[in-house]
Amino acid sequence: MYNRAFLFNGIGSKPEKLLVKLPPQLMDKYEHYLEEAFGRLGLSMDLEKNKAYDGRVAEWIISLICDRVVFEHYIEKGIVPDIGAGYSSGIVSISGCFGSVPHEFAHDIIMMNRATMRCLEEHDEKLDMGIVIGFSYSDIEELFEGKFSPDELVIGSGNSRFHVMVSGKAAAVEKALLLCQNEGAIKAFSFGTGVAYHHPAMKKYSQEYVDFCASIKYSNPVYPILSIFDREVMTEGDQVMRENQLNVYTPIRWDLAINKLEELGVTEFFDVSANGAVSKFSRVSRKCKIYTLEDV
Amino acid sequence: MRDITEEIRQEIKDMIFDYYAEECEVEKDEITMDTNPQEDLGSDSLMFVELIEMTADKYDLDIKLQSIGKYMLKAPMDTMSDVVEMFCKIYQYGNDIVNQ
Repeated sequence: MYNRAFLFNGIGSKPEKLLVKLPPQLMDKYEHYLEEAFGRLGLSMDLEKNKAYDGRVAEWIISLICDRVVFEHYIEKGIVPDIGAGYSSGIVSISGCFGSVPHEFAHDIIMMNRATMRCLEEHDEKLDMGIVIGFSYSDIEELFEGKFSPDELVIGSGNSRFHVMVSGKAAAVEKALLLCQNEGAIKAFSFGTGVAYHHPAMKKYSQEYVDFCASIKYSNPVYPILSIFDREVMTEGDQVMRENQLNVYTPIRWDLAINKLEELGVTEFFDVSANGAVSKFSRVSRKCKIYTLEDV
Repeated sequence: MRDITEEIRQEIKDMIFDYYAEECEVEKDEITMDTNPQEDLGSDSLMFVELIEMTADKYDLDIKLQSIGKYMLKAPMDTMSDVVEMFCKIYQYGNDIVNQ
């Protein structure tokens, strides 16, 4: 029986938005982990000095370090998960925090995104992702029917009844966002990052990343993890490895993963992101609650 | 269409101001009807959705976000005055706000 689930966001929030939410007593730990990680990876502590792909992955590693600090804070407070789930790169984060891989390896996985971005650039592939607020997965499915081929655009993630991520060719993403805006989206915006995570087209550009994910033996996670792809409970290291590999090029259903956790008995969700990002785009039923760092 | 009284209008305004003060971590008296919720308070669309859900619960409204989105194409939410006005219209017209 699972009662308490930890939710990991991984990347997506700007460092300044995360750090402002970390209380002073957690900042020392954060700075220690940051210095250690950036020193090992050859990244500059002065974020502006990390150019191009380095700049991007440096921000993402900061997100992972914040997750780790918040995770350890919850554990120290006696808040222990029965199960967890990771949204997108939150899978990498949870793999480290739940002990399947060393934190250093989780950071190395994030660093491998540079190879993917480089490969996309070499092939002159123009991809993008976007967020639509105000539509559910099925709303968007209906709206897009017959307008886009799967090669052009997919729903990368259904996050909640009002939050969806789309992913694909940059031109298709732009067209889709405009369509959503005209059909009553509260907001529709693109990431403009040049990548289309959770779109199958990413598979051919992310071989190095995928191979790297499998380059060590994963331990069984200390706490079970719910797969956001098939919504099975994962208790073995090999399953966690596979989840990390699928992550780059496979669409996810975060909304269904949350529903599944509730079906499994979860009533208390703890958002591990420092700024409560997961709690903002996720929705749980009335009998459940998502707690954030501010609540603890 | 549902009638709206001055009391309800004031209640909606208070609810909105309280919500933004708490979410954006500012004093309520720092917010005026001319305040821009995005630029001055740093609010975002997800906060806005939460406020809609809260209002729908409080007043037992069945409102589709797309109706509000379409209304916003005609009437952007640039000030707190716009926001209060829109929520009063949601209370009055529900999904028919799109035709207002």
